[in-house]
Amino acid sequence: MTILQPKYSRSLRERLSANPIVLKELRGRMRGNRAYLVITAYVGLMGLFALLLYLGYTASLTTSVYDSNSQIVGKVVFGGVVGVELFMVCFIAPAFTAGAISGERERQTYELLRTTLMPARSLVLGKLTSALSFIVLLLFIALPVQSLAFLFGGVALEEVLIALVILLTTALASGASGIFFSALMRRTLGASVVTYAFALVVVVGVPVVALLALAFTGPYLGSSFYGGYYSPTAAEIMIQLLLMVGMWALICLNPLAAGFITEIMLISGEHNAFTMTTTIASGQSITLLGPWIPYTLICLFFSLITILLSIQLVRRKEST
Amino acid sequence: MAPIIEIKNLVKRYGKLTAVNDMSLQVEAGAIFGFVGPNGAGKTTTMRILTTLMAPTSGEAHVAGHSVIKDPRSVRKAIGYMPDFFGVYDDMTVWEYLDFFGACYEIPEAQRQPINRDLLELVDLSHRKDDRVEGLSRGMKQRLALARTLAHDPQVLILDEPASGLDPRARIEIRELLVELARMGKTIFFSTHILADVAEICTHVGIVEAGRLVAMGKLEEMQRMLMPHRRIHVNLLGKGEEATAALMAIEGVTNVQNEGPEEEAAATGHHRLVVEYNGSDTEVSAILAKLISLGIPVFHFSEDVRDMEEVFMRATQGIVS
Repeated sequence: MTILQPKYSRSLRERLSANPIVLKELRGRMRGNRAYLVITAYVGLMGLFALLLYLGYTASLTTSVYDSNSQIVGKVVFGGVVGVELFMVCFIAPAFTAGAISGERERQTYELLRTTLMPARSLVLGKLTSALSFIVLLLFIALPVQSLAFLFGGVALEEVLIALVILLTTALASGASGIFFSALMRRTLGASVVTYAFALVVVVGVPVVALLALAFTGPYLGSSFYGGYYSPTAAEIMIQLLLMVGMWALICLNPLAAGFITEIMLISGEHNAFTMTTTIASGQSITLLGPWIPYTLICLFFSLITILLSIQLVRRKEST
Repeated sequence: MAPIIEIKNLVKRYGKLTAVNDMSLQVEAGAIFGFVGPNGAGKTTTMRILTTLMAPTSGEAHVAGHSVIKDPRSVRKAIGYMPDFFGVYDDMTVWEYLDFFGACYEIPEAQRQPINRDLLELVDLSHRKDDRVEGLSRGMKQRLALARTLAHDPQVLILDEPASGLDPRARIEIRELLVELARMGKTIFFSTHILADVAEICTHVGIVEAGRLVAMGKLEEMQRMLMPHRRIHVNLLGKGEEATAALMAIEGVTNVQNEGPEEEAAATGHHRLVVEYNGSDTEVSAILAKLISLGIPVFHFSEDVRDMEEVFMRATQGIVS
């Protein structure tokens, strides 16, 4: 006789602890004083950073903080904290996941796991879930620091929500990239190197390319190049459009750029958070999606693909 | 009885190297099967195919009636596997280690508690349940690994070199545990190159060399088949030459050798002879009677217990290049 379990009424805790990997990883991660020390140091550093931002910015002001500038102070503190969190998510999430599968191989526990009934899916998702849950914990405990910005005002709810969405999807994507390289490579060292190289390319490489592209093509984008007396040909308009869209696409690939441009969209007031309208030289205006939307979708798609590939890699039997 | 492990024409090639070469064997349920062979003979590869970790190049293997190729999940349910290394997680207690693997075998949380307790008791580690795994001695780790393989109550245990690297006491403890598990109805398939273990506990033996099974059967059958000669040790107070001549005259005696040192014979007159003989127990008794009747002073007469090492040497000799 089989006992039917009410599958859909299980609580989150039950679901999490049903995956042995999650249970083991969380137990291990939160054991002893280490986790508390890490968290305390993290909050301390975040607080210090926010304080420095505040002091640095107010020192550069000539008037009192408590006038219209206070809104800008709020934005600076908020933007600074979110920026640091974004960096952290890009470079810490891989540290948690780059050793996830290769570490099991190195500890010689991989084969033990593969001879149990645990499916490859549970191993990959369990590793990712436990890594992400720690990242989410770090994001949540930084909320009080982030909220200091509200003391000064100037930060709208939609900014907070968009920042959260970008942070979470970035964490997912960078964690998933770590898992993928960890499943692909034999050694954790190799997996870490490749994962960090990948993160560097996305976080630093893409803005560098974007800036270089801007330096070369920028003059052609602004209407000032043509002055008021020259009307461009259709081909020139086409090139301008392509350059603009290309630039936008690059921005959509990078978390910092996507966040920054979205913030500019919101500050400038003329755009809403979802679309931005920009004018090219010919005077035509084009409407593009707010970069955070495609960025988020790209992250989700990338995560899905890398997770599926990782599961395939783990499922694969040793052939040689 | 239907075999619980059945390997048919199994081949595994790594590039040009053939690790397992057309191997076929069966293991009966309830047997303690010793899988013996030199290093690199293909023992571990065979076990990795049986445990579904590796796909064979050709051939088929079934465990408890399930194909390792077509139905790996059912095979995993039926087996407990202990590789020749011990996988350790840092920061994990003995209890958590067992609990984790129990969970990997999809045993519900409520049932894991009593199972873990029983397993720790079985392998005599209850007193260490809250200690870190990496702090255990090698023998204890090996016992813990054995407990881990039992979490889901499998029918078959596949153990790769369970006694390697253990001190004599730990080795004997593991050996006793295996016998105990066989008594509980488990089939044990284990590889080893410690032949004393095989002679001590195995009911069946398979000798493998260069990827091929060169001999297989019940332990006694193998001994009879591979070593038809009986060896009798005869120690004398004197009259060595006379005894040798008399023994050589007996039909069935193929060889008589003096194994004692020359100096001993010169100093004390004692002789130690080894007689190789083909014949029944009654005939062996007749040899003794004849020696006595000739007035030869026999003070020790015993038949050699044939050890596995000789069986092994005889089975594998000539194949080693």
